[in-house]
Amino acid sequence: MIIAVSGKGGTGKTLVSSLIIKALSNTGKDLLAIDADPDSNLPEALGVEVEKTVGDIREELKQDTQTGKIPAEMNKWDILDYKIMESVVETPEFDLLVMGRPEGSGCYCAVNNMLRKIIETLSSNYDIIIIDTEAGLEHLSRRTTQNVDIMLVVTDNSKRGMLTAQRIGELSGELDITFQKMFLLINRVKPEKQEEIRNKADETGLKVIGIIYEDDDVAEYDIQGKPLVDLPHDSNPVKAVSKMVSQILNIN
Amino acid sequence: MFKDIPVDVSPMYEGERIRAANMFVELAGPKSIGAELVQVEEAVEDGRIEVRGPEISEMEEGEIYPLGILVEISGEKLEKGLEGVIERRTHELCNYVNGFMHLNQRDQIWCRVSEKASKAGFKLEHLARTLSILFREEFPIIEAIAITIITDKSEVEAFLDKARFQYEERDSKARKLSDNDVDVFYGCVMCQSFAPTHVCVVTPDRTALCGAINWFDCRAAAKMDPEGPIFEIEKGEVLDDVKGEYKNVNAVVAERSQGTFERVYLHSVFEYPHTSCGCFEAVAFYIPELDGIGIVDRDFRAETPLGIPFSAMAGQCSGGKQVEGFAGLSLEYMRSPKFLQADGGFERIIWLPKHIKDSLTDFIPEELRNKIPTEDDADNIKDLKKFLQEAGHPIIQRLKEEAQDEENVQEEDVKLAEEVRVFDENVQTAPVAYAPELTVPTSSGVRIILKNAKIYAEKVIIKKK
Repeated sequence: MIIAVSGKGGTGKTLVSSLIIKALSNTGKDLLAIDADPDSNLPEALGVEVEKTVGDIREELKQDTQTGKIPAEMNKWDILDYKIMESVVETPEFDLLVMGRPEGSGCYCAVNNMLRKIIETLSSNYDIIIIDTEAGLEHLSRRTTQNVDIMLVVTDNSKRGMLTAQRIGELSGELDITFQKMFLLINRVKPEKQEEIRNKADETGLKVIGIIYEDDDVAEYDIQGKPLVDLPHDSNPVKAVSKMVSQILNIN
Repeated sequence: MFKDIPVDVSPMYEGERIRAANMFVELAGPKSIGAELVQVEEAVEDGRIEVRGPEISEMEEGEIYPLGILVEISGEKLEKGLEGVIERRTHELCNYVNGFMHLNQRDQIWCRVSEKASKAGFKLEHLARTLSILFREEFPIIEAIAITIITDKSEVEAFLDKARFQYEERDSKARKLSDNDVDVFYGCVMCQSFAPTHVCVVTPDRTALCGAINWFDCRAAAKMDPEGPIFEIEKGEVLDDVKGEYKNVNAVVAERSQGTFERVYLHSVFEYPHTSCGCFEAVAFYIPELDGIGIVDRDFRAETPLGIPFSAMAGQCSGGKQVEGFAGLSLEYMRSPKFLQADGGFERIIWLPKHIKDSLTDFIPEELRNKIPTEDDADNIKDLKKFLQEAGHPIIQRLKEEAQDEENVQEEDVKLAEEVRVFDENVQTAPVAYAPELTVPTSSGVRIILKNAKIYAEKVIIKKK
């Protein structure tokens, strides 16, 4: 099963992704987290260190190709395959693949084509894949999220967050990308405003799957740079996400 | 066949990855050493299997061990040249084993044994036996096969030295691989999403225009993803060895370009040059004034002696077009002995950016090295000509010969040309097009052919249709 977490930048995609992983990590399933946002910090939220991203590998291979460093008989598929595997951060609970920086100038058709295939193969070895997508709609128009089963759109209570959520819903319809299920998750909600915001959220046309309250712990962890995955089990965000996760698991 | 192997063996396990969380041990890989090698020998004891060093059952969970896989084969039709191809299959065949992960090749392999497989009693001895059976099945020309798996560190080290020596020998042969040595070329239409009529023809001498994939990569890709954008082209009948024209290549290009192009010369910028995608690393362009060819790459931002930069030139010939006098190409192609051979190769090159020239030092014929100017020597046609004359570039001799030839042809032509020539130096004009040969369509039964046409305009208007 592939779960993608999308939404406007700054609405809490990374918080949600890391807490999904936390919720799933004691299910005994093989988990792969993919950080597809060049601007995000999923590794920090998960408390792991990344040595190399897919972007770094792509540039390295390009360099090595241009300077003729690759042995004549070796093929680049296998080299990439190895390097991607090497870049995967492995922990007992989950593995993590970081896409990293976007492309430079020049042609990336070939290498991206190889990467797509390699990442597909790699992903097929996991039970659940959680993708922290890049902010906005790019991943839809480039169809990098087309095999996703569950599209989870995160918004805060801002108008712009809601609008982005609505557009994600509309665009996936226009582009004929069908997710098995698509949900809206509202983050940073003041409990007393819950009803008002729920009504607003209905205008997006997306089904609300959960609400995360504004949380002092999250703010504090962010300031201190502490991994969000270490949030206490009884904190509201952890409980809200884990409830949502069991709902999702029950669908399948 | 695999009755006494304690785990499943089947192609369906290809692509199996074993997470660190689920593995028993890791073999070779980035934190250790390892290699695989296929050797054709005179006499091989068929079916011999040997494990030198600790077996899986003697290994400690979670640890990393070195690994060597030596496959010795013999057979009447086997030759040393086939070792690489056969060795290449080790990756797939190892992956048939459920619970055994194998990545990459040569001294870059990386394997893991899953916890499950180890619990089921899987041993390296079983891996060896499986390989022995599968190799014989895949390659019936193998008459006898012996497999040695090494996990003893010092033995793997010695094995690695031996293997690397073999790889180096193979690579030096592969570097010399030429279009003439193979029966299959490859086509690639990966760029057709934005260059719908572009068909890249990849041969041992001609890397794809993007520089990203060579003949070996295509061979792997076509096998891995037969329905994918990279496909085989049987080389078939050679129509012109020098220009690089092949009957089957023409047919495939016609088919895959939806009938847009019927002929392609792989090694020339004239008449029927290779189509250009849009993401080529460099472009070769004809310089009509001097009858030579210039090269400019994506990283060169300034203007070429033609007065336009790479980007403008790329705009003219990209999108899957076949534009005579222009050909997108990869930097690697310039290292091939067949590099634009129909046009004269480096003898015809009269300008290139310095950073390319520096990277090609070993490939530009020694006698030409000081004769080909870069942006440091000339950035316009006048200076270019001066440099070429002073350096004694072979193009100057060529120009002289051509001038003589032309004098002997009809004089009418010249007169006519003078009459037609209208060039007001007070009016600012910009070059809009170059063509070594341009046919102007007419209806009166005559054909007007403009040779070395340079079209200038006072104003260029681009209108949306």
